[in-house]
Amino acid sequence: MVDPGSEPAQSRGLSFRSRLTASLIATAVLPLAAFATVVVLADALSAGGADPTFGRLLLFAMAVTVLVAILFSYLVATDLTRPLRAIASAVDRVSAGDLSTPISVPGDDELARLADSHNRLAADLDRRDRQLASILAAIVEVSPRDGVDFLVGRAAVDAKLAFDLVDAHVSLGNPALYPAMEVVPGEMRPLRAVLRAGDESLGILVGRLPPLRPWARADQDLLELFASEMAVAIRNAELFAQVEAQNAQLLELDAAKDDFLRGVSHNLQTPLTSIRAYADQLGQDRPDRRLEVIREQSERLSRMVRQLLTVTRLESGALKPRSEVVSLGTRARKAWEALGASDAPFTLDDRSDGWLAIADADQLDQVLWALLDNAVKYGLGAPIDVTVEPDQAGERLRLTIADNGPGIDETDRARLFGRFVRGSERGPDEGSGLGLFVSRELCRAMGGDLVLEPPVDGRGAVFSIYLPAELAREA
Amino acid sequence: MLSGVPGVPGGTAPRILLVDDDSNLLVLLADQLRADGYEVATARDGDEALRRLRTSWPDLLIIDMMMPRMDGLSLAREIKSQADLPIIVLSAIDAGDSKADLLEEVAEDYVTKPYHYPELRARINRVMRRLGDKVPRQSLVLGPDLTLDLHRREATVGGTAVQLTPTESRLLYALAANLGQTISTETLLARGWAETEDADPSYVWVTMRRLRQKVEIDPNKPVHVLTVRGVGYRLARHGEAELPTRG
Repeated sequence: MVDPGSEPAQSRGLSFRSRLTASLIATAVLPLAAFATVVVLADALSAGGADPTFGRLLLFAMAVTVLVAILFSYLVATDLTRPLRAIASAVDRVSAGDLSTPISVPGDDELARLADSHNRLAADLDRRDRQLASILAAIVEVSPRDGVDFLVGRAAVDAKLAFDLVDAHVSLGNPALYPAMEVVPGEMRPLRAVLRAGDESLGILVGRLPPLRPWARADQDLLELFASEMAVAIRNAELFAQVEAQNAQLLELDAAKDDFLRGVSHNLQTPLTSIRAYADQLGQDRPDRRLEVIREQSERLSRMVRQLLTVTRLESGALKPRSEVVSLGTRARKAWEALGASDAPFTLDDRSDGWLAIADADQLDQVLWALLDNAVKYGLGAPIDVTVEPDQAGERLRLTIADNGPGIDETDRARLFGRFVRGSERGPDEGSGLGLFVSRELCRAMGGDLVLEPPVDGRGAVFSIYLPAELAREA
Repeated sequence: MLSGVPGVPGGTAPRILLVDDDSNLLVLLADQLRADGYEVATARDGDEALRRLRTSWPDLLIIDMMMPRMDGLSLAREIKSQADLPIIVLSAIDAGDSKADLLEEVAEDYVTKPYHYPELRARINRVMRRLGDKVPRQSLVLGPDLTLDLHRREATVGGTAVQLTPTESRLLYALAANLGQTISTETLLARGWAETEDADPSYVWVTMRRLRQKVEIDPNKPVHVLTVRGVGYRLARHGEAELPTRG
């Protein structure tokens, strides 16, 4: 038993027990005291102070009676209020969250019944608490990755466990197909809750409660809460599955596209390989400028095929350049030779001074071919000047190509690096319009950049490639 | 080595099996290789190649990646499951492709179509030279914090996998084949840059520096890839790093 002194009533003046004690004393002692006073007064008036001993005895008896009355009153009051105090402290415990300790009040009186109904209330609360806890646990564990079928099965099992049902079943579809069943007293009680996600009804949860088990409004609310949470989870799983399916389809399409492009590339490059190799071989036996042209043009075609493939790879992020050591000046010279534009004047000023670029040689070649090809095309026969030098800012090399031609229009400058852009006024065009776009993307993929330098009179179009570089020394 | 053909044990001309579905290329490339002193056999597809392998083994195979029925990757895997023959893949797909990455795990080298014959020849020679190097196909444990898996071009440094570039793994291959011994910078240059005509020792220096940044815990105090000043480099054996270094 809890110490009665902790009762909150104490602080608000007299406790119920004290007031009961006081009223018991009042009802038991006051008539007796009045009676005794009357007897004493009557005796004194009639006898004229005849026997003082009787009066004193009477007073003494009165005092003892009063004391005994007080004691009995206190004991009776304590006994009567004990169940009340027990109930009060139990209610305190309930509000503090302890639902497990029932109140025991013996007998069959009003207070015992009050205690009983409190115990039932506490048990109900306790049950709903546990239901809520298992519902929450079930909801927390749900993942959209589990899939709709799994979640449907799981919702039924969780509902059965949480609400202690005989059976439970979840059906997706129109809830109207499962009409409410009549409640027959003494038989299992049918339960239903619509799976509602927002305004949409996804299905229904039906189950049966054991006979005689109470089912209040609050239980139904809890069941419906559970049903709607499960509905949201199932809807998420449906959406997730849709997204997954779309992703899988996209991956498949992507793979198909890759395969297609590989096929195209293979089918175009295979004949070009033979053409080029035969021209090479014939040229060795009998040098001929016409064979040179065949070789150069087949190579040019093969580079254009590669450029197209490179664009799609850049878009899908599939292109991963390798970081290898490259001599930028040498690479530029070789690219120039491979281009076969030997009639245009070309100068290379290599001031790299021990710095080596870190780049993917294959990809760098693509960039150099594209830029040199443009320089030949738009420089209109003017000398092409290539300079390689370390960048003042730090660990980079800069390769600059100036075509000394008419330069680039202000309108073209802004859109030069877009896709499928060709110089509008820049003379004959045979390119794909992808060259500068691909080149800039490739340079960036290698950790560098490609920029168009501000116009300088007489130098024509000037492009600069920046690439990460390292100073070579034995280490 | 005027013709560029390396010596092969037995003293006979190196035998190459060429597999490509393009008959034009097959004839032409066989001609080019024969002119350089190789003994060349050809096959039009994977099945024919495997049939030829049953009668005799070449010293090297050149395989086209895209072929009907059995593609280059499947063929290369099938061959490697039978014998560790060196394979060079010839392909219209450039080396940046994911499929090419797969192939590089199986094949020794990769040449893009349209090929440039002198470059192809340089690569053949490099692969043949490497035949003498016996590096186990399993991973090579060099210490508690470094394991090399050169066939996958991968190093495991302190538990983390690091991707190596083809050149880096070629240099490591040469060093690992002579574990503990010094390999000259010139040799490394030849192994790493066989097809780059004007490569010079600075290529080796810079690549070694970058390699150290990948495989050493402290690149400034290397314990695996060691410099022998003025000579070359060596790869420390497992356990060597913990021993006190001799003067």
